Amino acid sequence: MIKRSIRAILAVAVAAVLAVTPGPAARAQAQTFDFARLQSSVRDYTVVLKVKVEIAFGMQTNEQEVRLLGTVVTPEGLILFDGSTVSSEQHSSMSGASFRVTPVSIEVTTLAGRKYSAELVGVDRFTQLGFARITNAGNTRFAPVQFAMNQQFKVGSWLTAYMLLPEFVTPPVASDVGMISSLIESPEKFPLTVGFGGLEMASVLYDERLTPVGVLGTLMDPTSVSTDAGGMISGSGEGDVQLLGVVTGERIQKLVASPPRKGEDERSWLGITLQALTKDIAEFLNIGASGGIIVTDVVKGSPADKSGMKVGDVIHEINGQPVEVDMEEKVPIFQRRIAEMAPGTQVEFSVFRPHDQKVDTLRIVATLEKAPLTAANAPSYESKEFEFKVRNIVFSDYIQNNLDVGSLSGVVISDIKQSGLADVGGLEIGDIIQRIANTPVTSVEEAQAALTKIVAEKPREVVFFIWRNNKTMFVNVKTDWKMQ
Amino acid sequence: MKHIALPMLALLAAVSVSAADGSLQNDIYRARDRVLPALVHIQPVVKDYNTGELKKQAIVGSGVIFNKDGYVVTNYHVAGKAERIICTLGDREQVSARFIGGDPPTDLAIIKLDLSDHKGPLPVAEFGNSDSVQVGQYVLAMGSPLALSRTVSGGVISTKDRYFSQEVRLPSGEQTGNYNLWIQTDAAINPGNSGGPLVDLDGRVIGINSRAMMFANSIGYAIPVNIVKEVVHAILTEGKVTRSYIGAHYQALQEMEEYFGTDGVNGVLVSSIDAGSPAEEGLLRAGDIIQQMNGQAVSAKFVEELPAFYKKIATLPPGSVIDFRVQRGTDTLHLSVKTRLLGDLQGEDFECAGWDFTVKGITRQMQLENQLKDSLGVFVEGVKRSGAADDGGLRAGDVIVAINKQEITDLPGFVAQYHDLVQAKTQKILLGIKRGGSSRLVVLKPSANEETTLND
Repeated sequence: MIKRSIRAILAVAVAAVLAVTPGPAARAQAQTFDFARLQSSVRDYTVVLKVKVEIAFGMQTNEQEVRLLGTVVTPEGLILFDGSTVSSEQHSSMSGASFRVTPVSIEVTTLAGRKYSAELVGVDRFTQLGFARITNAGNTRFAPVQFAMNQQFKVGSWLTAYMLLPEFVTPPVASDVGMISSLIESPEKFPLTVGFGGLEMASVLYDERLTPVGVLGTLMDPTSVSTDAGGMISGSGEGDVQLLGVVTGERIQKLVASPPRKGEDERSWLGITLQALTKDIAEFLNIGASGGIIVTDVVKGSPADKSGMKVGDVIHEINGQPVEVDMEEKVPIFQRRIAEMAPGTQVEFSVFRPHDQKVDTLRIVATLEKAPLTAANAPSYESKEFEFKVRNIVFSDYIQNNLDVGSLSGVVISDIKQSGLADVGGLEIGDIIQRIANTPVTSVEEAQAALTKIVAEKPREVVFFIWRNNKTMFVNVKTDWKMQ
Repeated sequence: MKHIALPMLALLAAVSVSAADGSLQNDIYRARDRVLPALVHIQPVVKDYNTGELKKQAIVGSGVIFNKDGYVVTNYHVAGKAERIICTLGDREQVSARFIGGDPPTDLAIIKLDLSDHKGPLPVAEFGNSDSVQVGQYVLAMGSPLALSRTVSGGVISTKDRYFSQEVRLPSGEQTGNYNLWIQTDAAINPGNSGGPLVDLDGRVIGINSRAMMFANSIGYAIPVNIVKEVVHAILTEGKVTRSYIGAHYQALQEMEEYFGTDGVNGVLVSSIDAGSPAEEGLLRAGDIIQQMNGQAVSAKFVEELPAFYKKIATLPPGSVIDFRVQRGTDTLHLSVKTRLLGDLQGEDFECAGWDFTVKGITRQMQLENQLKDSLGVFVEGVKRSGAADDGGLRAGDVIVAINKQEITDLPGFVAQYHDLVQAKTQKILLGIKRGGSSRLVVLKPSANEETTLND
């Protein structure tokens, strides 16, 4: 939040300076943009969102209001906005969420002053674009933005955009100018921009003819993108280099056609861990491909396992298209390609299988399945009495703890209230509870049942049998019923 | 009543008069004179492989001569990884010393002074009995705090049975401190005191100062001398301490009696069983309460009793069959567990100077700690920053299982391959590695310009 407001302040400051001393190029170019026309067209589909969000640090929560610029993208009132500010999670991979922002209510105000309420549809995990749907528009039809498709971007071509100003300024938006600075290919085609440093993410960008060509987005520093075995890309952390650029019309169209749904993760997975086929490794393996994916582990029972894929296989084509992954930084391209195909899709992989002397060529057909739940999406249960939260064990728990998948059962402690009963009793975030008193627990439902029974019986103490750092132990939590 | 009280008062008066008389001071002088001449200022150059290259570091520690042939006891973390050792004796003469043996689990080591140029008799300190020390008893700590040699500090025994629940590791990676409690003292203990003696007023060594709480005032810890005596004996007679391993972990029964229904019954609570361990083979389970071991009642109601129980099992000869009588729920069972040799905690180190990383052999204990499926390969200990291995993507914790598609089973096999490839000035090497559950490939491109040495 703080970062955002600083950015907003900077944006205003930069805009003010530009107005006083525009550079020669900016002055020359500014004349070619028909701002008056832009101003009238953006009125149709630009809205201001006031989002009440709940911010949770562990088990402490707090409410705050965030003001954002949104764009109507369908006649029914689907709104595109910067999803990262209103719906984000940073969680330690072991324990689940420890910092979470969730929207409570969304108020939409059109530039014409009409007010609606909306609900969050979801946030795309790759672009961080958020979608909200107006819920009380009745039969009203909106005039949505129409993005140009297959725009040919050129380095040096100018773009303009609208930005949101502080609430006391009327009108609440102003324009900004930027430029395509580079067309980069990795990890995917992404025209970089300069000049929009102060602009809000997801702002609509227009070319010289004021055609909407996309929205402002970021490309995460590829080196900071961490990946997990499910082929999922997790977000970039603090301090990463953010490369600003255009999220193109084609990608937005795809997202609008099937908006990401909150709580439901329809990502597909193959069930492998992987490595890039670098030129050096290809040479050693006598493989004449200009890139590929080396399978470094196959999860038992996964689509890859069922298809007969083996550790050491080199995937060089998907459905006849080359996999041009020749450095670790490009691995996410492959992962994303898999993740974005619908579960149930049959995919044909062209595979090299190196042996001591020769290299076999195979075609492997795998049927993708829905990716396993992540820690953040796993069902959870909060015990008010014991002041902790547990969630189901997920695939990545096994991988992160170097355990065979399914080798351990229980529920994972995802949050603990500081100085609460569980904390004082000696339980820790990340502990895997295997037994509560004498009841074995393998899911949050079982944990909830066991804890509910205990609350009814009010024993003096409860012994938890847990797994921590590859060892098991007993933890005695003293209860304090009169306090509740 | 008054008749009895009076003589007692008189007696107290007599004591206080005698203290004022200077006898406590005299006791301190006497203790000082008995041990200070045998105090040794130790300056080892230790080898450190953690950063991906062999780094030599000059450090300072303390030690005490316990035998007229010139044997000195100190900490393993002082002399265990020493390449060269210079010692300064009580008469300020300098002699060199060599490492005789060490025991990471107790953090103790023995070095032997080179007395070929030393004249005159060697002062020797006497070991006392740490079982008979008392809280509040006056003690002196001797050593080289912050390298300031021949320093004596004084205080009392603050606690004689301090237990540390946290896992502690030596700089060389071994887990330490499982088999003993600690004598806590407020005699100032600082870095450099390590390995020096804690002395009672009879002038006998009652502990070896080894740890201190950082940023605290006068909270230092010594290994009780009775443990030291056992370790010294084992090293001098057999070269090392041999321990049995069964792979069970224990927890104090305190606060768990109600849960396990053991009110009024003593025992040792089994909290965890290592995968593939003798305890697992012997069907011992977490939650079992061991009531008897070989017919003898055992108990660990309090945490302070745990190290003694670990030690009780460790001191059995490897291969011993233990008969445990355990309570499991309402049943009483007899289980036999055959112990096996604990073995080295950490493998031998090796520097691949030409490839910019360090490795060590994989011991059974390392296999367990790092959750490795087997002990094949070598363990990457450190990767030099911006070196060839770092550029190739090798990481500390990886296990190298193949070089140029040839399987590597152990450290000697790895070293042989390494020497061959360095000698042949091979420019590109393919390493097969295990990282977690994954089998990855790493290409090394040792810099052609850099001189590589083979003197490791």
